[in-house]
Amino acid sequence: MDFIQTVFTSFVALIPVTLAQSLILAFVVLGIMIPFRTLNFPDLTSEGAFPLGGCVCGVLLASGASPLTALAVALIAGFLAGCCTAFIHLRFRIHTLLAGILMMTMLYSINLRIMGKSNLSVFGAPTVFDWAPFVQPGFPFAKIIVAGLIGAVIFILLNMFFKTEKGTAIRAVGANPDMAEAQGINVWVATIGGVGLASAFSATSGALMVQSQGFADVNMGLGILINGLAALMIGEAIVGKQTVLRQLAAPFVGAVVYYQLVSFCLAAGMPPPDLKLATGLFVLAMLALPSLKRSRGPAQARETIRE
Amino acid sequence: MLEIRSARKVFYKGQADEKVALDGLSLKLATGEFGVVIGSNGAGKSSMLNAISGALVLDSGQILINGDDVTDMPVHKRAIRLARVFQDPMKGTAASMTVAENMLLADLRSKKRTLRQGLNASRLATYKERLELLGLGLENRLDTRVELLSGGQRQSLSLIMAVGGSPDLLLLDEHTAALDPRTADIVMKATVRAVEALKLTTLMVTHNMQHAVDFGHSVIMLDAGKLRLEISGEEKAKVTVVDLIGHFSVKTDRMLLAS
Repeated sequence: MDFIQTVFTSFVALIPVTLAQSLILAFVVLGIMIPFRTLNFPDLTSEGAFPLGGCVCGVLLASGASPLTALAVALIAGFLAGCCTAFIHLRFRIHTLLAGILMMTMLYSINLRIMGKSNLSVFGAPTVFDWAPFVQPGFPFAKIIVAGLIGAVIFILLNMFFKTEKGTAIRAVGANPDMAEAQGINVWVATIGGVGLASAFSATSGALMVQSQGFADVNMGLGILINGLAALMIGEAIVGKQTVLRQLAAPFVGAVVYYQLVSFCLAAGMPPPDLKLATGLFVLAMLALPSLKRSRGPAQARETIRE
Repeated sequence: MLEIRSARKVFYKGQADEKVALDGLSLKLATGEFGVVIGSNGAGKSSMLNAISGALVLDSGQILINGDDVTDMPVHKRAIRLARVFQDPMKGTAASMTVAENMLLADLRSKKRTLRQGLNASRLATYKERLELLGLGLENRLDTRVELLSGGQRQSLSLIMAVGGSPDLLLLDEHTAALDPRTADIVMKATVRAVEALKLTTLMVTHNMQHAVDFGHSVIMLDAGKLRLEISGEEKAKVTVVDLIGHFSVKTDRMLLAS
């Protein structure tokens, strides 16, 4: 009984901090979802775009730029990184995953070049979270409000965009590129723009994270992709993915639930080094589930027919 | 109007398995003309359609639509002028999107896509009207995802999508070949109705000799990447399935002699 109570109190105490963190990381999950689900372009760039956004933001904050400028420049840098990945895939016909690996490997050096060292403290620099209404700056609630507001605005804008004529065209490229092309849609522009946009969100997440934690680190992207995928799977399991609205809500819902789950596991005494193994196994299980279900159903039926 | 001027395309050039797909093919299709293309497998029918749509880049030769040279235009630019229905029902529609969204994509084929809302009430009403003509009940399933439709329904949808914007040129690539006879008949009838009503310049590839006899203003027979035979006007009206098959067998005899 005592154990459960300790676990519960430490978990509850961490809820606001975890919520703030998950709302910031929801943008990476969004940056993973857009290429993966909307463009049918499995993309790994986010693993490099997230620290890219962080490093760009860190350097700008350290040199005295306003937090909003730092955020904007990080966003543009992420956009360009995503464009490069899509271009590598389209121009040289390199597999999307390999193009992503190439890009994130190259970004590691670029990130080091940008910062000049492997980590940079920007503690005390002004952040976008200082402008939160109603609450004292510095508390998790300030982060929850600011990250939540940005998230809400992006969610509403994207939901509107994907229902416009241009947005529908971009979704068509993911659904059937040959058909999209035959309907007069420029597949190159749609893919480069879409993957660029997704990486811009990943970089924004990195920039917000740096402003939140007060330092930038070249290794801050390590494992972000698998965490994001796990969050996406959870979100899709909860809200589904049948409509544009649900598909867009999945990253946000998934991020919030996933990071609370992780926090609970840690509070319950799971050793932190095991976290990645557990996350990996979870993603594997989620991805394998449909094929396991299928092989149990029709496969047997086929065998009976053969007999 | 469609004009192909001495189109040439060689696959695997200079290699042991070099294959001449189009061998100086020239062809003219007048505005409003419905041409039916026949020919054995490997005669160059698909290569010709791909070359017209832009999916295949020619080694030499020209393609003109309504007098404009489109030879160097990419697929998505040519789409402003031409529409295509593929043999595979999966190819012509976006499976994970709804019937209405697919109609919207086709509707915008030759227009500039804006940041305005895609599906609005007036568009939905138009799509409903167009789909009603098919008599398949698709007009009541505008919000259904296309992957839930049958092959015949998908192909009918592809057809309605293709003829919707009255394209300068309609390409039909064995578009009833993958359907059961009854559905094939429905789709074929809908095709003829649309082509006649809108006076579309149409090029239809088929392996069905009865279709070649029954429909279209002219029969075009391809062989080894060249135009072998063109029957039009009075002669086309009198042609029978046996006549057409006769032309095939001549070719087969020659092939036998040559080998």
